Amino acid sequence: MGDQNSPLSADEARHLLRRTGFGAKQRDVAKILDRGETRGQAADRLLGFKPSGFRPRNNSLYLVHNKWFKFMTRTKLELQEKLVLFWHDHFATSNDVVGNAQWMANQNRTLRLHGKGDFRVMMHAINRDPAMMDFLDTVRNRRSEPNENYSRELKELFCLGVFDLDGQPTYTQEDIVQTARAFTGWRVDKKGQAYLSESQHDRGTGNPGDPYPERGPKVIFKDNPAFGSAGYDYGAAAGTNYAAEIDEVMNAIWAHQDSAGRNTVAHWIAYRLITFFSDPEPSNAYVEAMVANSGFDTTFVVADLLRAIFVDDQFYAALTDPTKLSVKWPVDFVVSTLRVLEMKLKSRYQYIDGGSYDTVQDTLSNMGQLLLEPPSVFGWDWEGSWINSSTLLARYGFVRDAMSARGNGKTAFRPERLFAFAESPSADPDIVVDAVTALLGVSNSFAVGSGNRDALIHYLTDGLGGTLDFSDFETRDKKLRGVVMLVTQSPAYMLH
Amino acid sequence: MALTRRQFLRRTGIATAGGLFAPSLFGNPFLQRALAQTIGDRYFVSVFLDGGNDGLGTIIPYDNGGGSLRTDYELARRSDAGGLRLAAGPGSGSTEGLDQAMPLTPFFDPNTGAQLGFHPGLQAFRDLYDAGHLAVIQGCGYPHANLSHDISTSIWETGDPLHNLASTAGWAGRHLAAEYSPTDIPGVTIGSRVAGELEQAGTSILAITRLNRFGFPLDAEYSSDNAAKLNAFDALYTEAANSGIPMREFIGNSGIATALAAESYPQLHNTYRNDRPAFDALYDDASAGGRTSMSRDLREVAKVIYGVAQGVANVNARFFQVRNGGYDTHSNQGGGQTNGRHYSLHREVAVALQMFFDDLADMAQGQSDGRQDLPEKVCVLVWSEFSRRVIQNDNGTDHGTQGPMFLIGHGVNGGVVGNHPNIAPVVIDANKGNTVYSQAAADPFRSTDLRDVYGTVLKHWMNVPQATVQAMLPLDPIADPANYWTAADFDLPLF
Repeated sequence: MGDQNSPLSADEARHLLRRTGFGAKQRDVAKILDRGETRGQAADRLLGFKPSGFRPRNNSLYLVHNKWFKFMTRTKLELQEKLVLFWHDHFATSNDVVGNAQWMANQNRTLRLHGKGDFRVMMHAINRDPAMMDFLDTVRNRRSEPNENYSRELKELFCLGVFDLDGQPTYTQEDIVQTARAFTGWRVDKKGQAYLSESQHDRGTGNPGDPYPERGPKVIFKDNPAFGSAGYDYGAAAGTNYAAEIDEVMNAIWAHQDSAGRNTVAHWIAYRLITFFSDPEPSNAYVEAMVANSGFDTTFVVADLLRAIFVDDQFYAALTDPTKLSVKWPVDFVVSTLRVLEMKLKSRYQYIDGGSYDTVQDTLSNMGQLLLEPPSVFGWDWEGSWINSSTLLARYGFVRDAMSARGNGKTAFRPERLFAFAESPSADPDIVVDAVTALLGVSNSFAVGSGNRDALIHYLTDGLGGTLDFSDFETRDKKLRGVVMLVTQSPAYMLH
Repeated sequence: MALTRRQFLRRTGIATAGGLFAPSLFGNPFLQRALAQTIGDRYFVSVFLDGGNDGLGTIIPYDNGGGSLRTDYELARRSDAGGLRLAAGPGSGSTEGLDQAMPLTPFFDPNTGAQLGFHPGLQAFRDLYDAGHLAVIQGCGYPHANLSHDISTSIWETGDPLHNLASTAGWAGRHLAAEYSPTDIPGVTIGSRVAGELEQAGTSILAITRLNRFGFPLDAEYSSDNAAKLNAFDALYTEAANSGIPMREFIGNSGIATALAAESYPQLHNTYRNDRPAFDALYDDASAGGRTSMSRDLREVAKVIYGVAQGVANVNARFFQVRNGGYDTHSNQGGGQTNGRHYSLHREVAVALQMFFDDLADMAQGQSDGRQDLPEKVCVLVWSEFSRRVIQNDNGTDHGTQGPMFLIGHGVNGGVVGNHPNIAPVVIDANKGNTVYSQAAADPFRSTDLRDVYGTVLKHWMNVPQATVQAMLPLDPIADPANYWTAADFDLPLF
């Protein structure tokens, strides 16, 4: 049993770096061990970043995409980037619908600024985010026929979840209908700012100029314990300050309680963050403990919640319980491989030098993760859903291309820079396997006596008559690139 | 299985990619196993209209018959600018009316006797209907409709609305998992994600976007090392497949199946293109309504079926899924406007399916091998995760409940099955604005439960025994036919 004061072991340090960043470089693991950092110290250091970087101003989506990608491959603020990815999935918005690269870039900046802060502040921004307002039809929500699209996802995906931890519904269709009225008339002006067009706003019963008395008072959450059977009349709370209605809706959402009396938002967001950073299938007790340990249900500060997650024993359970391992997201797979192998992509098109010349946008799309164009408002399906014949071939293809990139520049894969093997006519395959699997952070899956290790040992001399002659350049180059390729394509490397 | 696979890789890894395999491989247990016991020499294609297709804008009341469907329809769907109403007549200008796709043999709602029409974008469906190859299944839904895309899609995929089963596998996937082994490949999804209705952990389903890009990426620089690499790759994946850890086993089996299929599937592209240039071009012909993602996706299915029917080695898929997105028409849905969104969605799907069946008929022409009678051997089920609100909004529709499904094939009983949902203002909930699911025998508007449709397909197309189907699609445990599904014989008159 450990806590925030427990010093990190090498395995724990590697796990923490991988889950909060992109891969774990050996020297970063060594730094943590040299400093003797505890879980709490490391978490504070990782979470202590000042939100920054990446302010693309461009009208072309692929340039926005590539700048973001490039930033991920070079940034020192890896946790910030991981959080941007998480929130991009959580608030999935597709340029396929929005068709405005600048708005997409602005949304990305919003996620960057608020990613570890007060979740309520982030939601305030998302409610008024032009890309989101376009994507989920807020800009087409008018008082004559309120459009429920945003109203539904605000509850289902962004704040409450369809079901709570105990499988009970968190809202009703009536809540959706009534909430949609609050968002009627919100539009985006020419400068890209959200504003309320009162002529398109459903003002609600009793207010001057209300043509829809049959819709009744703007009451939500009638059967929620937080509000009693009367529910919350957000229309009355806002009065004639119509622009405040959406904030009154949010106030009700922040107070919403689930079937067990828990704060619904806090537990939904905690559940989502735990599944992303820690455990694909967390128990209710795990989620409850992280909220309780961080006070997230009163402060809603994401960084506090993350700290609670990163210092807890359950975060490190994957080191001993393989069912807690998580399938690397395609972006994580590509970025971490490039970072660990100290490679960069070429040109503003971001392709692998000498490979199939697919841009990284195509590569990621083939792996099932085209950033800025998620498949739907639900974002991407994680874990096993990342894996199928099509996406696996894309992963294998990227690896093949990356390992084949030759030359002297930083866009090449240069095994001689990463490994210092003696140019001996009888190199030791065990030493090679140890070095490669350690670099890629999968030593534990290639332990002595394992079938995985045997396969690599056999491969190193396969076709060479049983000896590994590293004094021969072609043998050294072929087998080193080959063994790195195999480990990077292996099932063990797909998980972390 | 591992040994077999290793031999397979050794043999094929060195051979040129995409080449045909030696006949000796036909003795491979992998192949024997994959020849299906139940579906036999038939095929099944699931077509998912993603986003929630507006049923009331798909099969449309032409008149009232003995009820009030047309009157109720006109109350719900306006005729002004932004209105979605389809005229019970010819339409005008670039806005088409129901007369544009009126079948030669008119069809009627079994309950109200109202004459029904296809949306004019569905002229190709009308032609398939007139030929007796298309069944309209009305009022399909499930108890306590969920209006979330995500939840409702997973309900339609699993066929398990009330979570009566522990399994989260797809409804067809449960059948596949029972019939096939982990490294068999009985199904293909066209796209980059495995279809939910085929998904399960017992056997392998391929996700293929395009066959010609499905090859295994070998290293061109050191090609002499490829055999050694594939051997090691095989060992690493076999180790994972036997690890006893579910996610590792899944990745292991997926990689093994992928490497196998990456050798055998890409050739199907060239074979089809060489043998069938006219149809290859037809799917790309914009003037004929082709050159759409739907027509191109169905062409990939046609390529695979063309190979399976001729016994190409290591190509055994008989279950397919194709997905077409864009149905979430909250705004700018368009009624009968030929440049409207719903019109073009309808046209894309209907034309592509007509091309597909024309292609199958042509493949079968004069053949005596597996290609014989192909149009009778392929059945297509078209579904969507829900329908849309009866009453339109400004110029679109929000999420709704029951809608129509389509079953297409020369082996299908053409016609109309099931009742049009009741859309009278007095029965649709003022707040929810949706039709009501009911199984009460006395209800003239009795709904069609999606499980009855799946069960009928499993029983009559895939030859699954009644008792097995019953176990795969259990009745709801609550004895309230108004709200639940409590009786079925899986004998809808579809085949």
